[in-house]
Amino acid sequence: MSTTLSPAEAPVEPGRRPASVSEVVMQLEETWRAEPGLRGWLRSVDHKSIATRYIVTAFVFFLLGGIEAAMMRAQLARPENTVLGPDAYNQFFTMHGTTMMFLFAVPIMEAVGLYLVPLMIGARNVVFPKLNAYGYWVYLFGGVFLYVMFFLNTGPDTGWFSYVPLAGPEYSPGKRVDVWAQTITFTEIAALVASVELIVTILKTRAPGMSLNRMPLFVWAMLVQSFMVLFAMPWVATASQFLAMDRLLGTHFFNPAEGGDPLLWQHLFWFFGHPEVYIIFVPALGFVSSIVATFTRRPVFGYPAMVLSMVGTGFLGFGLWVHHMFATGLPQLGESFFTGASLMIAIPSGIQIFCWIATIWAGRPRFTVPFLWVLGFVVLFIIGGFTGVMIASVPFDQQVHDTYFIVAHFHYVLIGGAVFPLFGAFYFWFPKVTGRMLSERLGRWNFWLFFVGMNLTFFPMHQLGFEGMPRRVYTYLAETGWGDLNLLASVGAATIATSVLLFLINVAVSLRSGSLAGDDPWVGDTLEWATSSPPRPYNFPLIPVVEGRSPLWGHPGELPAVAGLRTDVREVLVTSMLDAEPDSRHRHPPPTIWPFLTAVATAVTFITLIFTPWGLVIGAPLLFLALLGWAWPHGRDHAEQRRIEAEAPVEVTA
Amino acid sequence: MRELRIVGNVTNLPTNVFGHRSLVWWGTIGFLVIEGSTLFICAVSYFYLKKNFSTWPPEYILRPALTAATVQAALMLLSNIPMVMIDRAARRLDLRTVRAGMVIISLLAAVMCVLRVLEMHALQVRWDSSAYGSVAWAVVFTHATLLFMETVEVLVFTVLVHSPNMEQRDLSGISDNALYWYFMTGVWIPLAAIVFLTPYIT
Repeated sequence: MSTTLSPAEAPVEPGRRPASVSEVVMQLEETWRAEPGLRGWLRSVDHKSIATRYIVTAFVFFLLGGIEAAMMRAQLARPENTVLGPDAYNQFFTMHGTTMMFLFAVPIMEAVGLYLVPLMIGARNVVFPKLNAYGYWVYLFGGVFLYVMFFLNTGPDTGWFSYVPLAGPEYSPGKRVDVWAQTITFTEIAALVASVELIVTILKTRAPGMSLNRMPLFVWAMLVQSFMVLFAMPWVATASQFLAMDRLLGTHFFNPAEGGDPLLWQHLFWFFGHPEVYIIFVPALGFVSSIVATFTRRPVFGYPAMVLSMVGTGFLGFGLWVHHMFATGLPQLGESFFTGASLMIAIPSGIQIFCWIATIWAGRPRFTVPFLWVLGFVVLFIIGGFTGVMIASVPFDQQVHDTYFIVAHFHYVLIGGAVFPLFGAFYFWFPKVTGRMLSERLGRWNFWLFFVGMNLTFFPMHQLGFEGMPRRVYTYLAETGWGDLNLLASVGAATIATSVLLFLINVAVSLRSGSLAGDDPWVGDTLEWATSSPPRPYNFPLIPVVEGRSPLWGHPGELPAVAGLRTDVREVLVTSMLDAEPDSRHRHPPPTIWPFLTAVATAVTFITLIFTPWGLVIGAPLLFLALLGWAWPHGRDHAEQRRIEAEAPVEVTA
Repeated sequence: MRELRIVGNVTNLPTNVFGHRSLVWWGTIGFLVIEGSTLFICAVSYFYLKKNFSTWPPEYILRPALTAATVQAALMLLSNIPMVMIDRAARRLDLRTVRAGMVIISLLAAVMCVLRVLEMHALQVRWDSSAYGSVAWAVVFTHATLLFMETVEVLVFTVLVHSPNMEQRDLSGISDNALYWYFMTGVWIPLAAIVFLTPYIT
């Protein structure tokens, strides 16, 4: 017997085929309309809305992490200071590191990707919008949980890498480390979700004609970063679960008395922890390429070399983890190998720096604020890179291990390599996101104060490290002679704080009264500049067609596009992986509350698990119900799907 | 706004596709990588901790019993026969075979969950007795979470394909779920060998 999968009684509305572009736009406005109010906010699945929240949340965590840093610098400004006691200081440096790495740096890079990638590749949304919303909520709940516990004086206090045995049950009783371990689980789930989201979005929904070798360098950067997240994050997620089980269930993964091994923790952590640096840094490379191309008015020199360098960085990033463990007494051959690997990473980084310099050299640079941040990045990242090559050498590393030299090095790399390009990206894409320009004058003050403050804070730390000042000490004696350089560093921190304050003022003022940006204020070459600022919920009225690496510079004033996607239901175009040839049409879910409810169920499970293993028994049914609500066909989603299937009924055997 | 120049039309593209043409297939691959990595890390930790012991398992601990694990491994391998049939039936839109096959797979999944509990008993060690017990449990329990989640998914799909709410695209979902099943059952074979046989060969 043969039947169809669209029963006649299903409510079927015949598809309305628009006759003109303006009618297309009218229908898209209705179909993709954002729901108003709190309900709409909780149910949103628009990548721009989710990513904007992600960026704002991550920036709030950046401010919190910055306040923690400022408190530490206040404490260290003079010898035997009493701003923070030893216990508070331990919590502050742990919260600072954990916040900056897990709640700020990785999420904000992925968030910028989640905002820009669909626009740059000409897509209507990310491919799994419900999953995207779920990732954000899990991340938010994890971050809020950490800070609530911190304010309850249960903030983690064993450093952002939480080494055992210090973090084990014997030396860290109480719940502080459990809070850390579970926060990691929250943030890793969010990061992994975002990485799968970005990989599939990039590989399967690029605009027709955007073959892999025409993909913008920023999209390449996000693709490489997402693959790195995919392969790196499971290590720390598993390690943190092992740690939690050692503490809560009495397992012995890291307990040497019962055959466990503290070094296992270090291997598992750093197999994630080193790629983490590149997970933060590679998207920044993408920002830099976008900014350099736009403000020199020419495509970045050496596209294949740039792509291969990013991919190479992605692979090499996984071969360096042991250089964090040189002081643990590893076999000499292993140390030599990891020295070599660590030096090798300078090659792809160097290639990219030279490609940008060549681009600037041959172009006509416009020294706007985004471009200034890029120049700052080049200077600071080269300094951080040099000290990185120095500490790749085992004998040198043994001397400066766990001193302020290391603190100086990684702040040059992370602030210079990631935060500077990120601020450049804020200034560059703010007009696209908000429709208004940021003030250039305040932006220059913002940049120069940050640049000077950054060097005042961290350059003296190299010398402090040479003089033997260890990391993570809450105070020091006047006789050590470290007071002047520490005071200088604290003055630098205040300078950075002033700079960030100016940025906030700039954002607040510009949101209200900044000059209107228009679609394409910088004359950019990638597709996001072809749509309105801010973009409409459907991104593009028609899906663009790409005919080169700089799609907008080849066709001034016009945009080739394909017609034929439905406008009466949410529909996206799926293309082939290599050449981006149109392959199928995919229906997209409407707004839904289930990602939010599933994240609530996830949070209840994880948080209860800290206090009792019965958390699993409480959480499993909640998660089951939430996922059932998520997946079971119902509501507008079901009705729309039925409408499509009724128009193209498929013969099935039943 | 730039002037739109229409150069093509995608109206005739299909809306229900299978395998690597389906977005969910790609998402499934992503989650296979994540879960595969997690299992790989458990296996790496198993051998990393093993080097701390002169005998494996430690002398005072019994080796794992093999019956439940052997039956489980055989069942998991053989379950791929009906799953391949379901996968193919879904692709040719043969709903009758899909419906019957999903009932069989649901029953098999339930049996596997029972066997998993027996396998945990068969380890003959508690997770808190030594690092050996901890890491053996880590491998079995981590895979168990995959098995339990997949069992729930299979049950939900089975109910769905028998319900009037079913949509065409669910057939594509059935096929993507088959991919997950191949992974979940296939990856258990080397993991079972590690946990249940390594103590006998060292």
